[in-house]
Amino acid sequence: MAYIENETSRKTTFRKRKGGIMKKALELSTLCDVPIAVFVQSEYNSVPEVFPPSRQAMGNMLVKWEKLSLVEKTKKMMNQEQFIQQRITKATESCKKVAKENKELAMKEVMYDCLRGDNAPCNLDEDELRDLGGVIDQYMKGLNRRIQVLMKDHASSSTSVVPDAAAAAAAAVAMPTAEMGSSSNVKDFDLNQTQSE
Amino acid sequence: MMKKSKGRQKTKMVKMDKENNLQVTFSKRKNGLFKKACELCTLCDAEIAVFVFSPSGKVYSFGHLDVETIINRFEGIENPPLNPQPNMQLDEIHRNSPIQDLNNDLTELMNQLELEQKKTEDLKNKRKNSKVPEIWLKDSIGGLDLGQAKEFKGKLENLKKQVRHEAFKMLEGRYPHPSFYVGSSSNALFGVDGGININPNMNLFDQRRMVNMNNFYNHNMALPNHPLPFGNYGHAEGFVPGYNYIPEPNPTGNQNPSSKEENEAGNEHHHDGHSPDPRSD
Repeated sequence: MAYIENETSRKTTFRKRKGGIMKKALELSTLCDVPIAVFVQSEYNSVPEVFPPSRQAMGNMLVKWEKLSLVEKTKKMMNQEQFIQQRITKATESCKKVAKENKELAMKEVMYDCLRGDNAPCNLDEDELRDLGGVIDQYMKGLNRRIQVLMKDHASSSTSVVPDAAAAAAAAVAMPTAEMGSSSNVKDFDLNQTQSE
Repeated sequence: MMKKSKGRQKTKMVKMDKENNLQVTFSKRKNGLFKKACELCTLCDAEIAVFVFSPSGKVYSFGHLDVETIINRFEGIENPPLNPQPNMQLDEIHRNSPIQDLNNDLTELMNQLELEQKKTEDLKNKRKNSKVPEIWLKDSIGGLDLGQAKEFKGKLENLKKQVRHEAFKMLEGRYPHPSFYVGSSSNALFGVDGGININPNMNLFDQRRMVNMNNFYNHNMALPNHPLPFGNYGHAEGFVPGYNYIPEPNPTGNQNPSSKEENEAGNEHHHDGHSPDPRSD
Protein backbone atom coordinates (compact mmCIF):
# COMPACT_ATOMS: atom_id res chain seq x y z
CA MET A 1 0.00 0.00 0.00
CA ALA A 2 2.21 2.76 -1.32
CA TYR A 3 2.25 5.32 -4.11
CA ILE A 4 2.55 3.61 -7.46
CA GLU A 5 5.59 4.98 -9.19
CA ASN A 6 4.93 3.36 -12.52
CA GLU A 7 2.81 5.78 -14.55
CA THR A 8 0.88 3.21 -16.53
CA SER A 9 0.15 1.00 -13.56
CA ARG A 10 -0.90 4.01 -11.57
CA LYS A 11 -3.27 5.20 -14.23
CA THR A 12 -4.83 1.75 -14.65
CA THR A 13 -5.16 1.27 -10.93
CA PHE A 14 -6.73 4.64 -10.59
CA ARG A 15 -9.31 3.97 -13.27
CA LYS A 16 -10.29 0.60 -11.84
CA ARG A 17 -10.42 1.66 -8.23
CA LYS A 18 -12.24 4.87 -8.89
CA GLY A 19 -14.86 2.86 -10.76
CA GLY A 20 -15.09 0.49 -7.82
CA ILE A 21 -15.59 3.33 -5.38
CA MET A 22 -18.41 4.82 -7.40
CA LYS A 23 -20.05 1.43 -7.62
CA LYS A 24 -19.79 0.91 -3.87
CA ALA A 25 -21.23 4.35 -3.28
CA LEU A 26 -24.24 3.49 -5.41
CA GLU A 27 -24.71 0.21 -3.59
CA LEU A 28 -24.53 1.83 -0.19
CA SER A 29 -27.07 4.48 -1.07
CA THR A 30 -29.45 1.91 -2.57
CA LEU A 31 -29.19 -0.79 0.08
CA CYS A 32 -29.49 1.55 3.01
CA ASP A 33 -31.49 4.28 1.36
CA VAL A 34 -29.09 7.02 2.41
CA PRO A 35 -27.78 10.14 0.69
CA ILE A 36 -24.13 9.97 -0.28
CA ALA A 37 -21.69 12.10 -2.23
CA VAL A 38 -18.21 11.32 -3.54
CA PHE A 39 -15.62 13.63 -5.07
CA VAL A 40 -12.47 12.36 -6.74
CA GLN A 41 -9.80 14.73 -8.01
CA SER A 42 -6.89 13.25 -9.90
CA GLU A 43 -3.99 14.23 -12.09
CA TYR A 44 -5.85 12.73 -15.01
CA ASN A 45 -8.80 15.05 -15.03
CA SER A 46 -9.05 18.76 -14.44
CA VAL A 47 -12.64 18.37 -13.32
CA PRO A 48 -13.38 16.19 -10.31
CA GLU A 49 -15.35 13.04 -10.93
CA VAL A 50 -18.34 12.80 -8.67
CA PHE A 51 -21.23 10.75 -7.42
CA PRO A 52 -24.15 11.20 -7.81
CA PRO A 53 -23.42 11.90 -11.43
CA SER A 54 -26.51 13.93 -12.19
CA ARG A 55 -26.19 17.67 -11.73
CA GLN A 56 -29.47 17.95 -9.90
CA ALA A 57 -28.80 15.08 -7.51
CA MET A 58 -25.40 16.52 -6.67
CA GLY A 59 -26.98 19.91 -6.21
CA ASN A 60 -29.32 18.39 -3.61
CA MET A 61 -26.42 16.80 -1.81
CA LEU A 62 -24.57 20.09 -1.62
CA VAL A 63 -27.63 21.78 -0.20
CA LYS A 64 -27.86 19.10 2.47
CA TRP A 65 -24.22 19.59 3.31
CA GLU A 66 -24.40 23.34 3.60
CA LYS A 67 -27.38 23.08 5.92
CA LEU A 68 -25.29 21.28 8.48
CA SER A 69 -23.76 23.06 11.44
CA LEU A 70 -20.02 23.03 11.83
CA VAL A 71 -20.35 20.68 14.76
CA GLU A 72 -22.45 18.20 12.81
CA LYS A 73 -20.03 18.29 9.90
CA THR A 74 -16.87 17.76 11.90
CA LYS A 75 -18.11 15.37 14.55
CA LYS A 76 -17.58 12.29 12.42
CA MET A 77 -15.10 13.73 9.97
CA MET A 78 -11.83 11.97 9.32
CA ASN A 79 -8.79 12.58 7.23
CA GLN A 80 -6.45 9.92 5.93
CA GLU A 81 -4.17 9.94 8.94
CA GLN A 82 -7.01 9.62 11.42
CA PHE A 83 -8.69 6.89 9.45
CA ILE A 84 -5.56 4.77 9.16
CA GLN A 85 -4.80 5.33 12.82
CA GLN A 86 -8.27 4.08 13.69
CA ARG A 87 -7.69 0.98 11.59
CA ILE A 88 -4.40 0.41 13.36
CA THR A 89 -6.04 0.64 16.76
CA LYS A 90 -8.73 -1.83 15.79
CA ALA A 91 -6.23 -4.24 14.27
CA THR A 92 -4.06 -4.09 17.37
CA GLU A 93 -7.01 -4.97 19.58
CA SER A 94 -8.06 -7.80 17.33
CA CYS A 95 -4.54 -9.15 17.29
CA LYS A 96 -4.30 -9.12 21.06
CA LYS A 97 -7.66 -10.78 21.40
CA VAL A 98 -6.89 -13.57 18.95
CA ALA A 99 -3.43 -14.13 20.40
CA LYS A 100 -4.95 -14.49 23.85
CA GLU A 101 -7.55 -16.95 22.59
CA ASN A 102 -4.85 -18.93 20.85
CA LYS A 103 -2.86 -19.12 24.03
CA GLU A 104 -5.89 -20.48 25.83
CA LEU A 105 -6.58 -23.00 23.10
CA ALA A 106 -3.00 -24.17 23.14
CA MET A 107 -3.02 -24.48 26.92
CA LYS A 108 -6.23 -26.49 26.82
CA GLU A 109 -4.46 -28.92 24.52
CA VAL A 110 -1.59 -29.13 26.96
CA MET A 111 -4.03 -29.75 29.78
CA TYR A 112 -5.74 -32.55 27.90
CA ASP A 113 -2.37 -34.02 27.02
CA CYS A 114 -1.37 -34.02 30.67
CA LEU A 115 -4.63 -35.67 31.69
CA ARG A 116 -4.14 -38.28 29.01
CA GLY A 117 -0.59 -38.91 30.04
CA ASP A 118 1.00 -37.66 26.83
CA ASN A 119 2.61 -34.72 28.60
CA ALA A 120 3.39 -33.61 32.12
CA PRO A 121 3.97 -30.37 34.02
CA CYS A 122 7.64 -31.17 34.45
CA ASN A 123 8.12 -30.56 30.73
CA LEU A 124 6.81 -27.03 30.83
CA ASP A 125 8.62 -23.79 31.37
CA GLU A 126 7.60 -21.14 33.87
CA ASP A 127 5.27 -19.21 31.58
CA GLU A 128 3.54 -22.35 30.41
CA LEU A 129 3.07 -23.52 33.97
CA ARG A 130 1.49 -20.23 34.89
CA ASP A 131 -0.87 -20.36 31.91
CA LEU A 132 -1.73 -23.98 32.55
CA GLY A 133 -2.58 -23.13 36.13
CA GLY A 134 -4.89 -20.45 34.86
CA VAL A 135 -6.67 -22.74 32.44
CA ILE A 136 -7.11 -25.37 35.11
CA ASP A 137 -8.60 -22.80 37.46
CA GLN A 138 -10.99 -21.71 34.76
CA TYR A 139 -12.20 -25.24 34.20
CA MET A 140 -12.43 -25.77 37.90
CA LYS A 141 -14.77 -22.83 38.28
CA GLY A 142 -17.05 -24.15 35.59
CA LEU A 143 -16.93 -27.62 37.03
CA ASN A 144 -17.77 -26.45 40.52
CA ARG A 145 -20.70 -24.52 39.20
CA ARG A 146 -21.87 -27.54 37.27
CA ILE A 147 -21.53 -29.77 40.32
CA GLN A 148 -23.45 -27.25 42.38
CA VAL A 149 -26.30 -27.25 39.91
CA LEU A 150 -26.39 -31.00 39.73
CA MET A 151 -26.38 -31.33 43.49
CA LYS A 152 -29.28 -28.92 43.73
CA ASP A 153 -31.14 -30.92 41.15
CA HIS A 154 -30.33 -34.04 43.03
CA ALA A 155 -31.75 -32.62 46.22
CA SER A 156 -34.89 -31.16 44.65
CA SER A 157 -35.95 -34.21 42.67
CA SER A 158 -38.06 -36.45 44.92
CA THR A 159 -37.43 -39.74 43.22
CA SER A 160 -33.83 -39.34 42.50
CA VAL A 161 -32.69 -42.11 40.28
CA VAL A 162 -29.26 -40.66 39.85
CA PRO A 163 -28.34 -41.62 36.29
CA ASP A 164 -31.68 -40.54 34.85
CA ALA A 165 -31.80 -37.19 36.58
CA ALA A 166 -28.26 -36.48 35.60
CA ALA A 167 -28.88 -37.56 32.04
CA ALA A 168 -31.91 -35.33 31.83
CA ALA A 169 -29.88 -32.45 33.20
CA ALA A 170 -27.11 -33.13 30.77
CA ALA A 171 -29.49 -33.33 27.84
CA ALA A 172 -31.20 -30.11 28.82
CA VAL A 173 -27.99 -28.19 29.12
CA ALA A 174 -26.63 -29.46 25.84
CA MET A 175 -29.35 -27.53 24.05
CA PRO A 176 -29.10 -23.79 24.17
CA THR A 177 -32.79 -23.41 24.90
CA ALA A 178 -33.31 -25.57 27.96
CA GLU A 179 -36.63 -27.32 27.83
CA MET A 180 -36.71 -28.12 31.50
CA GLY A 181 -39.56 -26.80 33.57
CA SER A 182 -37.87 -24.99 36.41
CA SER A 183 -36.97 -21.49 35.34
CA SER A 184 -34.38 -21.00 38.03
CA ASN A 185 -32.35 -23.84 36.63
CA VAL A 186 -32.38 -22.45 33.14
CA LYS A 187 -30.35 -19.46 34.24
CA ASP A 188 -27.69 -21.66 35.76
CA PHE A 189 -27.40 -23.74 32.64
CA ASP A 190 -26.91 -20.66 30.55
CA LEU A 191 -24.09 -19.61 32.83
CA ASN A 192 -22.49 -22.96 32.31
CA GLN A 193 -22.71 -22.64 28.59
CA THR A 194 -20.87 -19.35 28.57
CA GLN A 195 -18.38 -20.41 31.20
CA SER A 196 -17.26 -23.59 29.63
CA GLU A 197 -15.49 -21.96 26.68
CA MET B 1 -20.61 -31.41 8.62
CA MET B 2 -23.68 -29.21 8.62
CA LYS B 3 -23.21 -25.82 7.01
CA LYS B 4 -23.72 -23.06 9.52
CA SER B 5 -24.85 -20.42 7.02
CA LYS B 6 -25.72 -20.14 3.35
CA GLY B 7 -22.31 -18.78 2.47
CA ARG B 8 -21.50 -15.83 0.27
CA GLN B 9 -24.55 -14.71 -1.65
CA LYS B 10 -25.20 -12.00 -4.19
CA THR B 11 -27.02 -9.14 -2.48
CA LYS B 12 -30.11 -7.73 -4.11
CA MET B 13 -29.66 -4.11 -5.04
CA VAL B 14 -32.75 -2.85 -3.31
CA LYS B 15 -33.30 -1.26 0.04
CA MET B 16 -32.79 -3.79 2.81
CA ASP B 17 -35.84 -4.77 4.78
CA LYS B 18 -34.68 -5.76 8.23
CA GLU B 19 -34.01 -2.72 10.37
CA ASN B 20 -31.18 -4.37 12.24
CA ASN B 21 -29.42 -5.64 9.14
CA LEU B 22 -29.70 -2.25 7.53
CA GLN B 23 -27.82 -0.54 10.32
CA VAL B 24 -25.13 -3.19 10.35
CA THR B 25 -24.81 -3.13 6.58
CA PHE B 26 -24.57 0.62 6.61
CA SER B 27 -21.81 0.51 9.16
CA LYS B 28 -19.78 -2.11 7.37
CA ARG B 29 -20.19 -0.73 3.89
CA LYS B 30 -19.48 2.82 4.96
CA ASN B 31 -16.29 1.66 6.55
CA GLY B 32 -15.39 -0.33 3.46
CA LEU B 33 -16.02 2.64 1.23
CA PHE B 34 -13.85 4.91 3.34
CA LYS B 35 -11.15 2.27 3.29
CA LYS B 36 -11.23 2.13 -0.51
CA ALA B 37 -11.11 5.90 -0.73
CA CYS B 38 -8.18 6.01 1.67
CA GLU B 39 -6.31 3.46 -0.38
CA LEU B 40 -6.91 5.31 -3.62
CA CYS B 41 -5.38 8.40 -2.06
CA THR B 42 -2.26 6.50 -1.13
CA LEU B 43 -1.90 4.55 -4.34
CA CYS B 44 -2.62 7.24 -6.86
CA ASP B 45 -2.17 10.44 -4.98
CA ALA B 46 -5.76 11.42 -5.56
CA GLU B 47 -7.75 13.89 -3.54
CA ILE B 48 -11.02 12.47 -2.36
CA ALA B 49 -13.97 13.54 -0.28
CA VAL B 50 -16.93 11.39 0.75
CA PHE B 51 -19.84 12.26 2.95
CA VAL B 52 -22.83 10.11 3.80
CA PHE B 53 -25.87 10.38 6.02
CA SER B 54 -26.62 7.42 8.27
CA PRO B 55 -30.14 5.98 8.54
CA SER B 56 -30.44 7.88 11.81
CA GLY B 57 -29.34 11.15 10.23
CA LYS B 58 -25.75 11.49 11.40
CA VAL B 59 -23.16 12.63 8.89
CA TYR B 60 -19.96 10.72 8.35
CA SER B 61 -17.26 12.09 6.11
CA PHE B 62 -13.82 11.18 4.93
CA GLY B 63 -11.46 13.45 3.06
CA HIS B 64 -7.95 13.72 1.81
CA LEU B 65 -6.77 16.31 2.13
CA ASP B 66 -9.72 18.09 3.66
CA VAL B 67 -13.41 17.50 3.08
CA GLU B 68 -14.47 21.12 3.23
CA THR B 69 -11.75 22.30 0.88
CA ILE B 70 -12.63 19.74 -1.74
CA ILE B 71 -16.34 20.47 -1.57
CA ASN B 72 -15.79 24.21 -1.72
CA ARG B 73 -13.51 23.78 -4.64
CA PHE B 74 -16.17 21.77 -6.40
CA GLU B 75 -18.85 24.31 -5.63
CA GLY B 76 -16.51 26.92 -7.00
CA ILE B 77 -16.17 24.91 -10.17
CA GLU B 78 -19.91 25.02 -10.66
CA ASN B 79 -19.26 28.61 -11.49
CA PRO B 80 -16.29 27.96 -13.74
CA PRO B 81 -13.09 29.16 -12.08
CA LEU B 82 -10.65 31.54 -13.59
CA ASN B 83 -7.73 30.23 -11.57
CA PRO B 84 -6.03 27.04 -12.77
CA GLN B 85 -6.39 23.66 -11.09
CA PRO B 86 -4.29 23.16 -7.97
CA ASN B 87 -0.80 22.01 -8.75
CA MET B 88 -0.80 18.26 -8.35
CA GLN B 89 2.99 18.21 -8.29
CA LEU B 90 3.00 19.69 -4.84
CA ASP B 91 1.18 16.61 -3.70
CA GLU B 92 4.34 14.63 -4.17
CA ILE B 93 5.50 16.06 -0.92
CA HIS B 94 2.99 14.15 1.12
CA ARG B 95 4.02 10.88 -0.41
CA ASN B 96 6.88 10.54 2.02
CA SER B 97 4.79 11.70 4.91
CA PRO B 98 3.84 10.02 8.15
CA ILE B 99 0.99 8.50 6.17
CA GLN B 100 3.38 6.06 4.61
CA ASP B 101 4.64 5.04 8.03
CA LEU B 102 1.09 4.51 9.21
CA ASN B 103 0.32 2.44 6.17
CA ASN B 104 3.36 0.30 6.79
CA ASP B 105 2.40 -0.20 10.41
CA LEU B 106 -1.08 -1.18 9.37
CA THR B 107 0.14 -3.67 6.79
CA GLU B 108 2.38 -5.29 9.35
CA LEU B 109 -0.44 -5.52 11.86
CA MET B 110 -2.81 -7.04 9.33
CA ASN B 111 -0.21 -9.66 8.47
CA GLN B 112 0.22 -10.44 12.13
CA LEU B 113 -3.52 -10.73 12.56
CA GLU B 114 -3.75 -13.08 9.64
CA LEU B 115 -1.03 -15.26 11.14
CA GLU B 116 -2.82 -15.46 14.46
CA GLN B 117 -6.09 -16.30 12.78
CA LYS B 118 -4.43 -19.06 10.84
CA LYS B 119 -3.00 -20.32 14.12
CA THR B 120 -6.51 -20.49 15.52
CA GLU B 121 -7.61 -22.56 12.55
CA ASP B 122 -4.70 -24.94 13.04
CA LEU B 123 -5.36 -25.31 16.73
CA LYS B 124 -9.03 -25.99 16.18
CA ASN B 125 -8.29 -28.56 13.52
CA LYS B 126 -5.76 -30.23 15.74
CA ARG B 127 -8.37 -30.55 18.46
CA LYS B 128 -10.90 -32.02 16.04
CA ASN B 129 -8.46 -34.57 14.73
CA SER B 130 -7.04 -35.70 18.04
CA LYS B 131 -8.90 -38.70 19.38
CA VAL B 132 -10.86 -37.99 22.50
CA PRO B 133 -11.35 -41.28 24.26
CA GLU B 134 -13.04 -40.19 27.42
CA ILE B 135 -16.29 -38.34 27.60
CA TRP B 136 -15.17 -35.66 29.97
CA LEU B 137 -12.56 -34.39 27.60
CA LYS B 138 -15.21 -32.74 25.54
CA ASP B 139 -15.43 -29.00 25.78
CA SER B 140 -18.87 -28.40 27.13
CA ILE B 141 -18.89 -28.89 30.86
CA GLY B 142 -22.63 -28.64 30.65
CA GLY B 143 -22.81 -32.12 29.18
CA LEU B 144 -21.38 -33.86 32.21
CA ASP B 145 -23.30 -35.73 34.83
CA LEU B 146 -22.46 -35.58 38.49
CA GLY B 147 -20.17 -38.57 38.53
CA GLN B 148 -18.25 -37.41 35.51
CA ALA B 149 -17.93 -33.87 36.79
CA LYS B 150 -16.55 -35.03 40.10
CA GLU B 151 -14.13 -37.36 38.41
CA PHE B 152 -12.93 -34.60 36.13
CA LYS B 153 -12.55 -32.28 39.07
CA GLY B 154 -10.47 -34.82 40.89
CA LYS B 155 -8.13 -35.24 37.98
CA LEU B 156 -7.78 -31.50 37.59
CA GLU B 157 -7.00 -31.03 41.25
CA ASN B 158 -4.33 -33.64 40.91
CA LEU B 159 -2.87 -31.93 37.90
CA LYS B 160 -2.95 -28.59 39.67
CA LYS B 161 -0.92 -30.08 42.49
CA GLN B 162 1.67 -31.24 40.01
CA VAL B 163 1.78 -27.79 38.45
CA ARG B 164 2.29 -26.18 41.84
CA HIS B 165 5.00 -28.63 42.65
CA GLU B 166 6.88 -27.94 39.45
CA ALA B 167 6.50 -24.21 39.89
CA PHE B 168 7.83 -24.39 43.41
CA LYS B 169 10.76 -26.45 42.28
CA MET B 170 11.59 -23.80 39.73
CA LEU B 171 11.51 -20.99 42.22
CA GLU B 172 13.47 -22.96 44.73
CA GLY B 173 16.16 -23.55 42.20
CA ARG B 174 16.45 -19.86 41.67
CA TYR B 175 16.27 -18.67 45.25
CA PRO B 176 17.85 -21.21 47.53
CA HIS B 177 16.61 -20.50 50.99
CA PRO B 178 17.61 -21.61 54.40
CA SER B 179 15.29 -23.99 56.12
CA PHE B 180 14.76 -23.90 59.82
CA TYR B 181 13.61 -26.75 61.88
CA VAL B 182 12.49 -27.25 65.36
CA GLY B 183 15.53 -28.81 66.78
CA SER B 184 16.85 -30.67 69.60
CA SER B 185 19.80 -28.84 70.94
CA SER B 186 21.82 -30.20 68.14
CA ASN B 187 22.16 -27.86 65.28
CA ALA B 188 22.66 -30.71 62.88
CA LEU B 189 19.17 -30.22 61.57
CA PHE B 190 20.11 -26.83 60.46
CA GLY B 191 19.62 -27.22 56.77
CA VAL B 192 21.55 -24.40 55.36
CA ASP B 193 23.89 -24.66 52.45
CA GLY B 194 27.25 -23.74 53.74
CA GLY B 195 26.35 -20.98 56.09
CA ILE B 196 23.54 -18.56 56.05
CA ASN B 197 22.55 -17.89 52.51
CA ILE B 198 20.52 -14.77 52.73
CA ASN B 199 19.09 -13.46 49.52
CA PRO B 200 19.07 -9.68 49.75
CA ASN B 201 15.87 -9.63 47.70
CA MET B 202 13.90 -11.61 50.22
CA ASN B 203 11.55 -8.99 51.50
CA LEU B 204 9.28 -11.59 53.06
CA PHE B 205 12.12 -12.39 55.31
CA ASP B 206 11.15 -11.67 58.84
CA GLN B 207 13.67 -9.67 60.82
CA ARG B 208 12.60 -11.44 63.91
CA ARG B 209 13.37 -14.80 62.48
CA MET B 210 16.73 -13.61 61.38
CA VAL B 211 17.50 -12.73 64.95
CA ASN B 212 16.26 -16.08 66.16
CA MET B 213 18.51 -17.71 63.67
CA ASN B 214 21.43 -15.77 64.98
CA ASN B 215 20.57 -17.00 68.40
CA PHE B 216 20.46 -20.53 67.21
CA TYR B 217 23.95 -20.16 65.91
CA ASN B 218 24.98 -18.56 69.11
CA HIS B 219 23.71 -21.52 70.98
CA ASN B 220 27.12 -22.93 71.35
CA MET B 221 28.74 -19.61 71.77
CA ALA B 222 28.58 -17.06 74.46
CA LEU B 223 25.43 -15.11 74.49
CA PRO B 224 26.04 -11.54 73.49
CA ASN B 225 25.96 -9.16 76.40
CA HIS B 226 24.59 -6.29 74.47
CA PRO B 227 20.91 -6.22 73.73
CA LEU B 228 20.05 -7.38 70.28
CA PRO B 229 18.04 -5.01 68.09
CA PHE B 230 14.79 -6.84 68.63
CA GLY B 231 15.38 -7.87 72.15
CA ASN B 232 17.02 -10.88 73.64
CA TYR B 233 15.18 -14.03 73.09
CA GLY B 234 17.39 -16.21 75.14
CA HIS B 235 18.96 -19.29 73.78
CA ALA B 236 16.36 -21.82 74.59
CA GLU B 237 13.63 -20.17 72.71
CA GLY B 238 15.74 -19.63 69.70
CA PHE B 239 13.88 -21.82 67.32
CA VAL B 240 11.81 -21.06 64.36
CA PRO B 241 8.98 -23.45 63.64
CA GLY B 242 9.05 -25.25 60.34
CA TYR B 243 8.30 -22.29 58.28
CA ASN B 244 7.62 -22.27 54.66
CA TYR B 245 9.30 -19.52 52.87
CA ILE B 246 8.10 -18.87 49.40
CA PRO B 247 10.05 -16.04 47.90
CA GLU B 248 8.52 -13.48 45.65
CA PRO B 249 10.30 -13.60 42.34
CA ASN B 250 12.53 -10.63 41.74
CA PRO B 251 10.08 -7.89 40.77
CA THR B 252 12.38 -6.35 38.21
CA GLY B 253 13.20 -9.64 36.60
CA ASN B 254 10.29 -11.90 36.25
CA GLN B 255 7.28 -9.82 35.44
CA ASN B 256 5.36 -11.28 32.58
CA PRO B 257 3.38 -8.40 31.15
CA SER B 258 1.14 -10.52 29.04
CA SER B 259 -0.38 -12.30 31.97
CA LYS B 260 -0.82 -9.23 34.05
CA GLU B 261 -4.55 -8.99 33.50
CA GLU B 262 -5.40 -12.35 34.87
CA ASN B 263 -2.71 -13.47 37.23
CA GLU B 264 -0.58 -11.71 39.72
CA ALA B 265 2.58 -11.62 37.75
CA GLY B 266 4.93 -14.39 38.58
CA ASN B 267 3.20 -15.58 41.68
CA GLU B 268 1.46 -18.73 40.73
CA HIS B 269 1.05 -19.81 44.29
CA HIS B 270 -1.76 -17.36 44.79
CA HIS B 271 -3.62 -18.34 41.71
CA ASP B 272 -6.75 -19.47 43.38
CA GLY B 273 -6.65 -17.10 46.24
CA HIS B 274 -5.40 -19.61 48.77
CA SER B 275 -2.26 -19.05 50.72
CA PRO B 276 0.43 -21.58 49.92
CA ASP B 277 0.20 -24.90 51.67
CA PRO B 278 2.78 -25.48 54.33
CA ARG B 279 5.61 -27.29 52.77
CA SER B 280 5.93 -30.74 54.19
CA ASP B 281 9.25 -32.33 53.67
